[in-house]
Amino acid sequence: MADAAVEALTTFALLVAGGLLTGLVFALVALGLTLVYGVMDVVNFAHGEFLMLAMYATLGLALLGIGPLVGLPLVAAALFLFGIVVYRIFIRRLLAGPPEATVFGTFGLLVLIQGAAQALFSSDYLSVPNRPLQGTLHLGPIALAQSALVEGAGALVLTALVFAFVEYTETGRAMRAVAEDRVAATLMGINVQRINALAFGIGAACVGAAGALLMLSYPVYPTVGSQFALTAFVVVALGGFGSIQGALVAALLVGLLEVLGGFYLSPELKMVPVYLAYLVVVLLRPQGLLGRR
Amino acid sequence: MTPLLEVRGLSKRFGSVRALDGVDFDAAQGELTGLIGPNGAGKSTAFGCIAGAMRPSGGSIRFASQEIAGLAYHRVARLGVGRTYQIVQTFADMTVLESVTTGALLRHPRVADARAHAEELLAFTGLAAKRDRLGRMLTIADKKRLEVARALATEPKLLLLDEVMAGLTPAECRDAVALLRRILERGVTVVMVEHVMEVLMPIAHHVVVIAAGKTIFSGAPAEAVRDPGVVAAYLGPPLEAAS
Amino acid sequence: MSPRPHLIALAAIVVLGLLYAFGSKDAVTLDLVFTLFLYATLGQSWNWISGYAGNISFGHAIFFGCGAYAAALCTNAGLSPWLAVPAGALVAAALALVTGFPTLALRGHYFSIATIAVGALVDTYVRTQGWLGMANGFELPIKNGLGWLQFSDKGPYVALALGLFALVQLATLALERSRLGYYLRALRANHAAAASVGIDERRWKLIAFTSCATFAALAGVLYAQYTLFVDPPSTLALSISIDIALIGVVGGIGTLWGPLVGASVYVLLAKEVALRLGGSGKGYDLVIYGAIICLIAAWRPHGIVGSIIDALRRRRGAADVVSVQNPAEAA
Repeated sequence: MADAAVEALTTFALLVAGGLLTGLVFALVALGLTLVYGVMDVVNFAHGEFLMLAMYATLGLALLGIGPLVGLPLVAAALFLFGIVVYRIFIRRLLAGPPEATVFGTFGLLVLIQGAAQALFSSDYLSVPNRPLQGTLHLGPIALAQSALVEGAGALVLTALVFAFVEYTETGRAMRAVAEDRVAATLMGINVQRINALAFGIGAACVGAAGALLMLSYPVYPTVGSQFALTAFVVVALGGFGSIQGALVAALLVGLLEVLGGFYLSPELKMVPVYLAYLVVVLLRPQGLLGRR
Repeated sequence: MTPLLEVRGLSKRFGSVRALDGVDFDAAQGELTGLIGPNGAGKSTAFGCIAGAMRPSGGSIRFASQEIAGLAYHRVARLGVGRTYQIVQTFADMTVLESVTTGALLRHPRVADARAHAEELLAFTGLAAKRDRLGRMLTIADKKRLEVARALATEPKLLLLDEVMAGLTPAECRDAVALLRRILERGVTVVMVEHVMEVLMPIAHHVVVIAAGKTIFSGAPAEAVRDPGVVAAYLGPPLEAAS
Repeated sequence: MSPRPHLIALAAIVVLGLLYAFGSKDAVTLDLVFTLFLYATLGQSWNWISGYAGNISFGHAIFFGCGAYAAALCTNAGLSPWLAVPAGALVAAALALVTGFPTLALRGHYFSIATIAVGALVDTYVRTQGWLGMANGFELPIKNGLGWLQFSDKGPYVALALGLFALVQLATLALERSRLGYYLRALRANHAAAASVGIDERRWKLIAFTSCATFAALAGVLYAQYTLFVDPPSTLALSISIDIALIGVVGGIGTLWGPLVGASVYVLLAKEVALRLGGSGKGYDLVIYGAIICLIAAWRPHGIVGSIIDALRRRRGAADVVSVQNPAEAA
């Protein structure tokens, strides 16, 4: 009797820990999305495909002998540049068009990148060879995969870094000014195009880093991004579009919902509570849990 | 006779900001009531509340002896309140004729009837020659005219005009005043927010002055310019001193 | 503008299509033509809510799935799939009503993401229900004849798809000229201004949403009878919804002929890619569609048909200006 209770509690604690760690990675992915949305009102439907590119890039480096953790800064930097290029030649044009152009345009980008990945890498599931950190860490009765711990911790550190950048640096302040009021920011002499490009680059760098971390435990395949992007949309909506703190809180919540739902309902149903949460929140509180207005 | 529109104690808060803090005024049947006040006094917010675009935080709005405060936007329109916007809100991808037909569909559900009615209104407002232009291709003056035609097409008892003269050239203003007189001749009651005082004074039957979210004057236009409270809040130095 | 040119064009398409359907024995091309009209129908269905009304949906496949599953259930129960026509349409309409009531007032990406969520929930639901075949889906028993909506040749299927497309096209032509059509366009252009002329957004969008959901369901019935196999990936998945949206966007949203043009591009590309690059599923087709969507979004946001209409209008607008200016110069 007591044993069963202890076991149930241990399982629950394990799930909560796993959910929170997963949530931290979601937070990093969602951070990029919410940052871009906050600064230029664009929901990047191709965000998950950026993540997928980052995962392939990490794989490529691993095949050259550079492991995911060492490769992380390289992949993040590559995605940063990629984001800037995409903004300069494409997103900038979408912003000049009708409002639905950004939805269609980033959606087209999703299809394009996903197709390219299929054409180049086939639909196979690929993993990093000789994955590091395959052991488990025991905290009393709770055993956690080392890779999950490193992913969670790494995501937390990177999220904190981006948050600090946006909050405390001059450029971050300019970014928030643009998010607040584009016209006023222009009048204050802020180069909105430069800030937009930077925000898009940082948004891509976030998934660049997240992609490298995820390769510690996930395989990569052409549609891997949509699964994470869908979660990120939900996280961003829950947290309030444009809110960084909101995204972090919502990501932890979604991580928990997904892991608990997957265990107590069934693995196929793990996304159900997440989607229901999205629908309930956008219908009852469209500004999100922590969003303003 | 009870006024067509009775506004009492109307208030609207945005968070901690009190945009309206007890606005009272009446609009008598068939008259033109001018709503004036310094920038940020809350005139457009009052319009938004009356038309149903915003839900008031408190107070009462009686239209044709019916309480309409807090009613859905489209329901207020259905009861007979038409409006234009301070910042024009045209249907960008519809032609002039289509936009006005859309308005006319409220009382004439068959498209052919609504169209006929819209054609009539285009002639009435002087837009007939531009009937096939897209809303977004029009000049500001024509966009404002289009908004008036679209609102009139719903056959309102009460027409709320929000700065229809702003940004117009003197010649365009004269046209607009002439149109306004024709609208009054049709028996439509008009409440009008206006910055251009010289335009408003000779045509308004009644003037209401709002400052800092409150009604500070209600009476004849000629008296408004002499009222010390109004002069202090809105007109700046006394007119005698200026002239 | 008079509807006559549109009616003539549609009649020509129907006549040529029927001649082809019953004249040709080329199974591969007949299959393409069937797909073309099926997708054009789905694209037009999507166009009602996403084009005319402006609520961009990435979940339209669920209505297609309603029809496909209704057909599969009917035939497997020994009932005529003709019964699935009203049944599927009814279920789709009910689903549109239930999901549209809360979501249609959401704007922009809020609505689009909600449709993804709803689509995923429906997909998940079907995968967990034994009576709906779980994740494996259903095969339909082989029958024959019009009563069973099954034919040994592809010709009758093509004719049916063509007929369905023509019906939906007529409905859309009527929509453009109706109170509903005016109201949807007004709501899309400016919902606040639309409310100020008495338009009840929820009511009119629900009417449009339920109507177009039934069109998609009819296409679903036909699809199930054609392929004789129904499962979540082929009828309900996000990728099907995305294909439907692709077709709508490429042709030009909110235009009468956009969906047919979009579907033509889609089908022709699928064929060319299969021919030259060896089968779909390798992603080359996606690369090309993606590139087209990107180009359209960035440079021609009104799509192919929309751009043609714009160009015509500009030319006519320019003529207007000239005719107005000339008398002034003379005077």
